[in-house]
Amino acid sequence: MTTSVTSRTGGTAPVRSGAARSVLCLVGALVLLVLALFASVMFGNMSNSFGDVLDVLSGDGDSYLTTVVESRYPRTVLGVLAGVCLAVSGTLMQGVTRNPLADPGLLGINAGAAASIVAATAFLGASGQSETMGWALPGALLSGVFVHLLGSAGSSTSLVRLVLAGAVLTAVLTAFVQAVTLSRPQVFDSYRYWVVGAFGGRDFSAFWPVLPFAVVGLLVALVLAPSLNSLALGDESATSLGTNPAVIRGTGLLTATVLSAAATAAVGPIAFVGLAVPHIVRAVGGVDFRMQVLLAALTGPSLLLFADVIGRILLRPQELMVGVVTAFVGAPALLLAVRRMKGGA
Amino acid sequence: MSTDLRKAAPAPADSPRPPRGYLRVGNRIALPVQRSSVVVVLCALAALLVAAVLTLTLGRLGIRLTDLPSAVFGGAEGKDAFVLNRLRGPRLVTGIATGAAFGLSGTLFQTVTRNPLGSPDIIGLSTGAGAGAAAFALLLPGVPVWIGAVLGAVGAMALVYVSTGTGFRNPGRLVVAGIGVAAISTAVIQYVVYVVERDAATSLTAYLNGSLAARSWSDATTIWVVLLATAPLCALVSRHLAVGEMGDEISASLGSDPGRTRTAAVVLSIVLAAGAVTVAGPIAFVALIAPQVARRITRGAGPRLLLSALTGALLLVLADLAAQQLPLFDDLPVGIYTMAVGGLYLGYLLTREWRRGSL
Repeated sequence: MTTSVTSRTGGTAPVRSGAARSVLCLVGALVLLVLALFASVMFGNMSNSFGDVLDVLSGDGDSYLTTVVESRYPRTVLGVLAGVCLAVSGTLMQGVTRNPLADPGLLGINAGAAASIVAATAFLGASGQSETMGWALPGALLSGVFVHLLGSAGSSTSLVRLVLAGAVLTAVLTAFVQAVTLSRPQVFDSYRYWVVGAFGGRDFSAFWPVLPFAVVGLLVALVLAPSLNSLALGDESATSLGTNPAVIRGTGLLTATVLSAAATAAVGPIAFVGLAVPHIVRAVGGVDFRMQVLLAALTGPSLLLFADVIGRILLRPQELMVGVVTAFVGAPALLLAVRRMKGGA
Repeated sequence: MSTDLRKAAPAPADSPRPPRGYLRVGNRIALPVQRSSVVVVLCALAALLVAAVLTLTLGRLGIRLTDLPSAVFGGAEGKDAFVLNRLRGPRLVTGIATGAAFGLSGTLFQTVTRNPLGSPDIIGLSTGAGAGAAAFALLLPGVPVWIGAVLGAVGAMALVYVSTGTGFRNPGRLVVAGIGVAAISTAVIQYVVYVVERDAATSLTAYLNGSLAARSWSDATTIWVVLLATAPLCALVSRHLAVGEMGDEISASLGSDPGRTRTAAVVLSIVLAAGAVTVAGPIAFVALIAPQVARRITRGAGPRLLLSALTGALLLVLADLAAQQLPLFDDLPVGIYTMAVGGLYLGYLLTREWRRGSL
């Protein structure tokens, strides 16, 4: 797409920056998302043709086809929601901490959500999907705040410090989760299906309670974006441009935590989307945070939906959960990034 | 020139020798022995003995303290025989050796990497072992779980080694690479736990937490053989490691090959950890903490192999005692206790280091 445009502009300067490029990126991301949406309702245990899906969407499909396609709506919608939340959360977190490895999964948020869900199921008698999911949010928020407090205690925030603080909290909470789940089989059963991170087998009841958090989080992220741009110039420049770095950081981290907690609550922990999407978005769309947030919100869902489709096709008739797929795609990317780390980080 | 000499040689021939004796065996072997460290080692041994006695005597099924000597040395009968030979004896003996193996493994790794976090837990060895065990349990149900664990551990370490690009030296890279490898391993474990039946999932999860419950004498034999076979090699490597702490050039000029020493220590460390994982599963944090505790007790430089081994054994036996006797939950895997305590200790350690600004 890019090549065709540049060749058409011919001898003049190639379109590398500015409005044209931004629009191009956004349109490209949008097209990708539409393709991902179609793929998500098309493929599965029984794959339909593109025409079938169009028939169903226009209301002409036979009842069997309609049932098959419509059964994939909840997981598609959940995938979009989780993708938006995780990708925007990662973008915010990396922007605020200036830490290219900031990912909700590494910072204790998943462990907090898990511990909270397990505690609610075991001790407060919470049952059913929406009720237990609701408990994920406060736990995730608490542990996110705790890790940031522990990791930023002292002189400066460093990557290794935050990650280790996350590892500490994860260890303690995991011990708690294991202790409870191993002594209560029912809790263990619901826990092991939640912890793997999957879209399948969930319905819209997992979607609605989480939606408000996602919408508010996305809006705040868009409002914050210009301030994040000035923050990227350094604290002094940001202050002279009229933003308060401490306030922006605090709001950014809180929003990021809310967003990833919302995603975790809806579909379980999914690793590496929040880590990878911001890198892709920066490489394609540049460093402007307004652009980054928008692009992340479009790219995150595509990535998750494609990962989900791959998981559905790979082991047919069984399914590979989307959390497993993203770990296998994301972790090697992380390992490659390690080689490029400078010094002890 | 003369001033230099006076500074460099403060100990003329008639000054008293430093307070250090040598344990001589024949003409060629002379092990340096410090009196203070002998005392510490004896204390650790005594503590381990107390913990062992408590393990055998406490609780409803415990052997009465007055009957213990005759039961152990003279042969037990009835209920005591069952407790000693089947229920708690093998478990205790396995626990001691497993803890010691984890302690040694952690010490070797931390000394080589010059990194207090260079432990099998942080760099993904334990999770890798778990993933191997889980994958084998799913794909080849007939094969013993520990084979999968060992293969998984070795695979994870190879992956970490390759992906850091600088071997095991750079702490930051090691930690992040370990997290990446652990993420893959966790995905494998969770997938397997998701797809298998609930009973299989429960027993797999119990193994993956690391447990000493229901160990047999053959488990005890396995880990003791590994421990005793590697111990002399560890002692041999330890001397070169102590020299290596002065830097590669000095140690090379003193006649030891730093590269070979490092490789040998890492291989020994992985063998010990894999042996321990084989019999008890990936018990969390013992390898990380035992060397730290040992170092704090002696406040000295250099790897304290014997003391680390004893500390590891003591930690694990105490944790297992808690697992057996605490009324909180019903006989949980011991790894859950070490994970909770170890996590808290790690948090304490990190905040302290950060306050000093050394990390």
